[in-house]
Amino acid sequence: MCSIVSASTAFFLLSNSNYSVEVFLVHVNAERPLGRNDRLDNKIEGMNVMDFKFTEEQELIRKNVREFCEKNVEPIAAEIDENSRHPAELFEKLARGGWMGIPIPQEYGGAGADFLTSIIVVEELSRSCASTGFTISTHAGIVCTMVLLFGTEEQKKIYLTPMAEGKQLGAFALTEPGAGTDVMAVTTAAVLDGNDYVINGIKTFTSNGPTAGTYLVFAWTDKSAGRKGMSTFIVPREAPGLRVGEHFKKMGLRSSQTSEMIFKDCRVPKNNLLGKEGAGLQMAMAGFDGGRIGIAAQCIGILQAALDESIRYSKERVQFGSPIARNQAIAWMIADMATDLSATRFLAYHAAWLKDQKLPFSKEAAMAKLYASEAAMRHTVKAVQIHGGYGYCKGAKVERLMRDAKITEIYEGTSEAQRMVISGAVLR
Amino acid sequence: MRVRQRRSGWSSLVLCSAEHLEYEACLKIFIRKDRKRCKFMPSAIACFKWVVDEAYIRRGPSGDLDFSSVDFKIGEYDRNAIEEAVRLKETLGWKAVTVTAGLPEAAKGVKDALSRGADEAYFIADSSFGNLDSSQTALILAEVIRARIREYDLIICGEGSSDFYAQQVGPRLAVKLGIPCISFIEKFLIENSQLIAERRVEEGVEVITAPLPALVTVLPDINVPRIPGVRDTLMAGKKPTVKISKDELPPIGEPPLRTISFKASKMERSCERFGTDTAEIARFVGSLRKKGVIG
Amino acid sequence: MAGVWIVSDNRGHALELLNIGRQLAAKMGTCVSALLYKERKEIEDYINYGADEVMLLPSLSGEQSLESYVPVISEEARKGDPDLILFAATPRGKNMAALIAEELNAGLVSSCMAIDFNYGNKTLVMDRLAYGGAAVQKVTCSARPAMATIPPRTYETTMREMGRQGHVRELPPPSPSPIKVIERKVKEREAKDLSEARVVVCVGRGMEKKEDLTVARELAEVLGGAIGCTRPIAEEFHWLSEELCIGLSGVQVKPDLYLGVGVSGQVQHLTGIRSTKVIAAVNKDENAPIFKAADFGIIGDIYDVMPKLISELKK
Repeated sequence: MCSIVSASTAFFLLSNSNYSVEVFLVHVNAERPLGRNDRLDNKIEGMNVMDFKFTEEQELIRKNVREFCEKNVEPIAAEIDENSRHPAELFEKLARGGWMGIPIPQEYGGAGADFLTSIIVVEELSRSCASTGFTISTHAGIVCTMVLLFGTEEQKKIYLTPMAEGKQLGAFALTEPGAGTDVMAVTTAAVLDGNDYVINGIKTFTSNGPTAGTYLVFAWTDKSAGRKGMSTFIVPREAPGLRVGEHFKKMGLRSSQTSEMIFKDCRVPKNNLLGKEGAGLQMAMAGFDGGRIGIAAQCIGILQAALDESIRYSKERVQFGSPIARNQAIAWMIADMATDLSATRFLAYHAAWLKDQKLPFSKEAAMAKLYASEAAMRHTVKAVQIHGGYGYCKGAKVERLMRDAKITEIYEGTSEAQRMVISGAVLR
Repeated sequence: MRVRQRRSGWSSLVLCSAEHLEYEACLKIFIRKDRKRCKFMPSAIACFKWVVDEAYIRRGPSGDLDFSSVDFKIGEYDRNAIEEAVRLKETLGWKAVTVTAGLPEAAKGVKDALSRGADEAYFIADSSFGNLDSSQTALILAEVIRARIREYDLIICGEGSSDFYAQQVGPRLAVKLGIPCISFIEKFLIENSQLIAERRVEEGVEVITAPLPALVTVLPDINVPRIPGVRDTLMAGKKPTVKISKDELPPIGEPPLRTISFKASKMERSCERFGTDTAEIARFVGSLRKKGVIG
Repeated sequence: MAGVWIVSDNRGHALELLNIGRQLAAKMGTCVSALLYKERKEIEDYINYGADEVMLLPSLSGEQSLESYVPVISEEARKGDPDLILFAATPRGKNMAALIAEELNAGLVSSCMAIDFNYGNKTLVMDRLAYGGAAVQKVTCSARPAMATIPPRTYETTMREMGRQGHVRELPPPSPSPIKVIERKVKEREAKDLSEARVVVCVGRGMEKKEDLTVARELAEVLGGAIGCTRPIAEEFHWLSEELCIGLSGVQVKPDLYLGVGVSGQVQHLTGIRSTKVIAAVNKDENAPIFKAADFGIIGDIYDVMPKLISELKK
């Protein structure tokens, strides 16, 4: 029989205002006789999970990121949100500390850690500033990872190493004014002309657009080939014909810079084609699978911050002669928050673990992102509610958390798109 | 027993028909002579303690202390000591060694110390080392430094441990090893095998010199400990750690001090609150006057 | 033999130690000896303030450090076999105490808040703080001698008895120690004013910029007090010198009034103000731990409250 220990321990530990990483042992008896409702081809999900313990290195890394955030991120988080400012000085520090290329092997300038470790870092960064966590997640988790997986040695040397070392920020440009969830509606096209590809089109909602040095751009190379007609190009900032367009003023994640990218006869050398012609969509989907887990990690950070603030505030705020934490209504809101946080952690860490084991993880990543983003939105709203009027004012951390949480249900695949992925996998 | 010594300074192996123990003793003398002759690079030893992180200590319902959800860390001031040793490595090419004695769980601390830039670690672990007294710690560290590490130029300790802050291990260790001890250093440099240090005293600062090898205890002002990057943490496990068990040490003996109680410290205050408007400020000042604390 | 010995190179601390030394010696039925190594003329003073014996150590040459005395004092202690040796918990005192404790295989209780002698089992019981001030540890010592370092101003100066009798013994000169003092830099007496001030105004992280310290200084002046700070102000921002840090590893103050402005009240800082008569605090964060430790608390913006306080106090 499988016994899950410590669901209550999880709640107890997580409901304390200091987060501590707990240890779980899930024992599986592989000889379990089949029950009445089991089918041989329908293994119960997640039952391959074994010893679910972080390594000592992961625990130390988590502590170090937390210390880094307390010293360098917390003090500026509110200001960079208010002013929609990209904190270049913070990213310099992140680069110097080697935090910009965590899942990239050391030979390419990264830290050489596993994906689960990079998730821990994104989570702790997001706990202090969701914009910073997101920027790192996109940069390392999607852009660097895609060049690592599909790039030639030459491309890795020229583009991956500076990005992994933090000298350049990466961005990917896929979404267009007319193409969001409907990726096939993209109109940007790349045409081979001699030794160059010439790219024309407009991309929108490009995160890190104004600040990146290297872009991954998705464009049609052969419209007639349908799903096999898109390709990915590595476009450096200096490429002729590339222009950063309008900057977007956003509700949340304001420190992360988002803009249009305009390609007007933008020329890149032939060798900047990433992977093969026509493999663009496939590569994008592979990249986004990892990116989804990064967003789930971002949501864990937001949720943890919301929980910390709610616990602290509810213990101190006195109404009718006692702290509001004594009121069942508030206590239950916090109970739900802690429970969903725990569930989100399991989903995200499990998906990351599967990725590290090189097992299929696409569905788990979608589940993690879906659950995490909806939980983050739901509970940051509740966190503001717990804070009452103070929670609604600038200066309260929960106000920023709620604004930051909304986008997690939209970008890198809307919740609806995630449901399509999950139902597609489950109903097969 | 015959000993042949070649001009190059390397002694050949002893041909000995004596008992095993004697042979071992001979061999050891040999090696030590060689090592003294062929000393490669200077080294600094940083001592640290893996302590309870006091931020996680809670007060129980009856006012006593609750250690059930505590986490651990390298003591605050010990981090400065490790950082100084690594600074000597990075600026002068020294070898940075760390030593700690504690429970087996302190292995995580050893990794932490290595991730901060140290080259190798010595870890004396035993399940009975949870509550070592300063004199016992000094004894263990002295034994390991004397018998296992043997060659060193500077020992660096934090000014005190974060948990009990007895501030004794450094000086006690220096006495045991027979080396000079300079405490509460704000900064120092090494010049011609001499230590030149500024130490804080009541009336100001004294500039001290002492010959090496010596022991220093450092103040937190001396440096800002680095936050190790991911790569440093991952590489830490690959650096050499020498594990030493209690049985390899001489008997430690009973501590001279015994704790008879341990209670949460209390600060009983009246906790009156005042507003910020003029009338309230006047009331506040009035209360201070009534208490007789201001004229 | 027996006895309670006190060692201090500062007269003020020595008189405090003589106070507790006398009390303990009376309970233990023994005498008090003081070790003196500064001015010969203080011999009579020490005797008047309670020492039964003064052991005089010869003055050191300019470049000799205090550590030279360690072998002499240790040897004297082996011969004299005191029950208890007390040091002032100053940097030098703590260092000397630890070195001597190791020479004598003695137990040393550092930064002792209180010592008492238990008649029942004839043991000394000592209190000290642990975990950054969160816990109080009660300790006994089974080794002989017992040793303790006591922070300045833990005890009051003892009463003076003019014409008291005692005897003087000269100790042998020390051999030179390898540690040499090549320069002595005397810092301004800021810290001294702080530890003896009757009113202390302490600034914390709530202060936004260095220039705002002028308002805090004005407030301190109006109150007739000294200015101090929490550790981050000195260590991180360098707005004030480290000697003005109040806390576990800084200055321990015992004023009549402590007023913290923009101080959150971390445990390590509160340890430095435990013995204050009245603790008051101004902070805009109602959840700041200092309010649990304060007699009078004002929850408000320090930039609003400080000028109001100044004008009210000037009335």
